[in-house]
Amino acid sequence: MKNNIRVERAIKNITQADLADLVGVSRQTINTIESNKYVPSTVLALKIARIFGKHVEEVFILDEED
Amino acid sequence: MKSRFLFPYGSRLIGYVLIFTYIPIMVAKKIFYHGYMDHGLPIKLPDNSSLLTPDHVFNVIATLVVTIGLLLLAFSKEKFEDEQIIQLRLDSLQWTMYFTYLLFILIVIFTSGIDLVHIVGINLWLQLVFFIIRFRWVIFRLNQSSKAEKAVL
Repeated sequence: MKNNIRVERAIKNITQADLADLVGVSRQTINTIESNKYVPSTVLALKIARIFGKHVEEVFILDEED
Repeated sequence: MKSRFLFPYGSRLIGYVLIFTYIPIMVAKKIFYHGYMDHGLPIKLPDNSSLLTPDHVFNVIATLVVTIGLLLLAFSKEKFEDEQIIQLRLDSLQWTMYFTYLLFILIVIFTSGIDLVHIVGINLWLQLVFFIIRFRWVIFRLNQSSKAEKAVL
């Protein structure tokens, strides 16, 4: 699964730590999601999408391998 | 996601204290006590000593101290618990089970009699020790990779 979190963060001008605080996880977790090492739970994906004011599918995209 | 059945974050410190209390006690016992030794194993060997003798009480206390210490160390909350930590913990538990049963298979094949009882006893602690090492290692790696990434950004 790919994601646009880094881009969305840049648009909204917030850091990994800011986003982590907003959704209630550690900065490391945001970091590993951005670098595609960790796939977030549905709840966390929905929370992240809500912060950016977008649908989940606009932030998280299925990969060919999925 | 809530992590349940975990000790509070601070209890990890108590775990360290208990384990580091155990080591000098066992060293002192080895130096000053010349009677029958069972090396403080979790399993009391079936010998002719009865319950509640000083030796038995000492062994019970020593075994409990280290077991409780390891349990606190293994199952205390992280400073920041989130869903990734929960996943890493479960992942480490799975590795621990594989490790434990691989070891168990090897022990069954290569030992017999009283050695078997001894080593299976040690195995009770070893799985906690393996879990603690595996879990702390993945947390360490997570923090390292995150730090490296932060330096790049």
